[in-house]
Amino acid sequence: MPDSGIDRTRLPIRRPPFAGATKRTLAGSAPDWSQASHVQPPDGAPNVLLVLIDDAGFGNPSTFGGPIQTPNYTRLAENGLRYNRFHVTALCSPTRAALITGRNHHRVGFGMVGEFSGPFPGYNATIPHDCAPFPRILQENGYLTGGFGKWHLTPDDQQGFSGPFDRWPTRLGFDYFWGFLGGEAGQYDPLIAENQKIIGVPEAKDGESYYFQDDLADKTIDWLHKVRSEKQKTPWFAYVATGCSHAPHHVPRKWSDTYRGAFDQGWDVMREETFARQKELGVVPADAELPPRNDAFPTWDSLDETHKRLYARQMEVYAGYSENADWNIGRIVDAIDEMGELENTVVIWIWGDNGASMEGTLTGTFNELTTLNGIPLTPEEQIGLIFKHGGLEAWGDDQLAPHYSAGWAWAGNAPFDWGKQVASHLGGTRNPMVVHWPGGIDATGEVRDHYTHVTDVGATILDLAGIPMPDAIDGVAQQPFDGATFADSLADAAAPERHTQQYYEILGNRGMYKDGWLLAQRMQRIPWEFDPDKLREFGPGWDPDDDPVELYYLPDDFTQSRNIAADHPEKVTELRELFWAEAEANNVLPLLGGLTSFFGMVPPVPEESKFVFRGDIQNIPSGMIPRIYNHSYTISADLVIPEGGAEGVIVAEADHLGGFALFVQDGRLKHTYSMLGVLEYTQAAERPLPTGNVNVELVFTADASKPATGGEVTLLVNGEPVANGRMEHTVPGRFSGYSGMDIGCDNGLVVDRSYADKAPFAFTGEIKQVVFDVAPHLSEEDARALNEHAAQALAAHAASA
Amino acid sequence: MSDKEQLDVLVAVYLIPDLAQEDFDAYTKLASDGKIVTDGVAVVIKDADGEVHVQETGDHLGRRGGEAGAGAGLVIGLFAPPLLAATAVGAAAGALAGKFARHRVQAGIGDKLDDALPPGSAGIIAIHEHSGAEVVASTLANAIRTSIAQIDKASAKELKAGLTEASAGLAG
Repeated sequence: MPDSGIDRTRLPIRRPPFAGATKRTLAGSAPDWSQASHVQPPDGAPNVLLVLIDDAGFGNPSTFGGPIQTPNYTRLAENGLRYNRFHVTALCSPTRAALITGRNHHRVGFGMVGEFSGPFPGYNATIPHDCAPFPRILQENGYLTGGFGKWHLTPDDQQGFSGPFDRWPTRLGFDYFWGFLGGEAGQYDPLIAENQKIIGVPEAKDGESYYFQDDLADKTIDWLHKVRSEKQKTPWFAYVATGCSHAPHHVPRKWSDTYRGAFDQGWDVMREETFARQKELGVVPADAELPPRNDAFPTWDSLDETHKRLYARQMEVYAGYSENADWNIGRIVDAIDEMGELENTVVIWIWGDNGASMEGTLTGTFNELTTLNGIPLTPEEQIGLIFKHGGLEAWGDDQLAPHYSAGWAWAGNAPFDWGKQVASHLGGTRNPMVVHWPGGIDATGEVRDHYTHVTDVGATILDLAGIPMPDAIDGVAQQPFDGATFADSLADAAAPERHTQQYYEILGNRGMYKDGWLLAQRMQRIPWEFDPDKLREFGPGWDPDDDPVELYYLPDDFTQSRNIAADHPEKVTELRELFWAEAEANNVLPLLGGLTSFFGMVPPVPEESKFVFRGDIQNIPSGMIPRIYNHSYTISADLVIPEGGAEGVIVAEADHLGGFALFVQDGRLKHTYSMLGVLEYTQAAERPLPTGNVNVELVFTADASKPATGGEVTLLVNGEPVANGRMEHTVPGRFSGYSGMDIGCDNGLVVDRSYADKAPFAFTGEIKQVVFDVAPHLSEEDARALNEHAAQALAAHAASA
Repeated sequence: MSDKEQLDVLVAVYLIPDLAQEDFDAYTKLASDGKIVTDGVAVVIKDADGEVHVQETGDHLGRRGGEAGAGAGLVIGLFAPPLLAATAVGAAAGALAGKFARHRVQAGIGDKLDDALPPGSAGIIAIHEHSGAEVVASTLANAIRTSIAQIDKASAKELKAGLTEASAGLAG
């Protein structure tokens, strides 16, 4: 289809009127070949590689003065531009939603994350059809579009075989998607989605452990090769979102070992060292001040030697993990270069969807799910559990699901204070961005200090591609972008700032930016505090305007160090009123709309309580398994045991750091339950299963319907008890952030390591059906109470996702 | 100090091997300075590759006399021959012919400790008079978990029981 005369303002682009002629036969008919052609992007439209790193701070990559070596990020920066006033939302899904839609996160339903679909427009985790993502616009304009890696924009209960699929990547503008749909994944055992299907946990090859980030780069390169083999000139758009540096911090030891000893000086000194390098690099103004240390984090000198060594190792692994991400993105860039296309490829590489995460609590954790389930562990317990699960050497491998201490996150956000979730402070919202485009940027190695925001990226890419913002898509009138193009700043350091005003809000932390001024109101809650008592402080009676007020003038105060609220009460008033106006206009209200379950607004009690699994059912996403938490339940399986017996897993969820398995081993029925790796329980029948048609059943009789309830387990064979035991504590919220449930096998990391050498330990008999009853004898009152707890647990989990 | 005084059987585990070594050195200094009376101490270090190294000191620390049965190799005797064969045994290497090495304490505690230690960690087993408990506790500052059992005398039977009790205490 010729470029001239195409109306790109209404998508899909309509085929032009037939310009030929038709007669009864070909005799006299005139062809119009545009009828058989496809839409092409405007002439000269570049390729675009958009890269997003996860849970990382401004002061992490060496490209911006950090201690983590990022040579590939640096080589692009040195041949392109560093943007040092680029901003995100301070939380994961919200930033991703703002990135791909070009609209403010609440406007597109992402005041919270994909795990939580709430009852208000700003918090329903559902991108509205009148805010179509810019990849859809590129796609409809002829771009080849591929998405790779972390997605986190599909509601938690819509990630399975039954859909709906309209919030999966392939329905939001991507021709092809490969990655994971949730907020996190183990790097050794992710649950992979491809296009519109969960395809399972990848297997290791050649005796090496599978590693997601390596595969992510391979899959991206493979897609580039494939589309280019068929379409030699059509520009492509590739969105690559790493799982790194989100927990679990997994990386092969060879990457972390290069940092041995590199962090022995501790987070206080690291922060100062980073700040000094940032000034040398010019990414922080020479007259900037380092904010005073934050007393929420212990001084390094106050720690004993064991904790210093433990914490130093935590950061070594995080650094190696992050450097590996840099290396793998570098491989993609190299592949593009080898294809001869780097010259005309715009690379936009954002280092962090929010500031570094403080959700590991002060101690860091051997299993991040303990924090997300609200399981309090003392420093001594943490160390004991690390010891139990493989010791310090296991930090980074598949025995643990670790997250480092909040002290490292704070220092990694240097020169700013706070971090992820804290939308009022630059530690949560300001992240590095590098733009590289040899064919379009003459200036190299320069720093751009334009105020820019994640909503600007889509508008900028469309601008560079020469594609207009459409008025309508699929007949649905489109809301305008909230972001503005910064395309002219690529070539012109003096280009005007177009993004002059921006509200911030995440979980009650608020900011209002306008023309250099920033009003900051931090809710008085530490990011890892999610206990209901603390949150009740923000229930009825809480007046947000009573929260402490901070005011900064950022052009003179790059690091948000000098609170001048007392000197400018009129500016405080002006910005506070502006915030409320923006909040109303962008569906931010009600504040804390993502935490409704803590304030008596809970979703309806689910009606389904019985779940029947027949046939080949594997890899049920972790957010979609039957809710066996906090009350009695039964699991019943009808089996056929052949002569000679059978072995293998009947049903298993997740792994040894949280999960359960009902299985047959040595001919005997067994059940193993891991309470997040803190406690493990096993019950085993003493005599072997009979042959023929056999019913086995697991009955958990809870002490009470309450969070983390203990209870009695009974295993039955054909109705006869064969084993029993007690589980003193059970998982209250969720076994895993990513690992799925399988019938007839245990995919990925296994629940009971006694059969790890036979993994996935497929059942060798026949499974006719497995039936979960998650509400036997549950009273309506209990059901309501548990539903409220489940919603709270989900919200707390989601806020950290 | 009476020969009748009760003995403490101590098991301590460490996340960081060289911190265990520091505590081991501090412990032996306590003994050589005469601040405690020990019947032996061993540090078990499991390196990152899972290889175990055992060091014991007992001969020169002013331990009690032979009549108490605390001959050289009391602690090292806890470890089974295959394990010892793979280790770099310290000063007590030649003491394996001692009473407890000859009779070998078959509690298997040493092996259990070996099994319990993840790669890159360490443990200490020590036996000393109870009067030194307080100073020992403050000296083993780097242990992440410590468990103590008391026995009446350093006999193989008592030692076996004490180590079983102390090791069980680590599991909390």
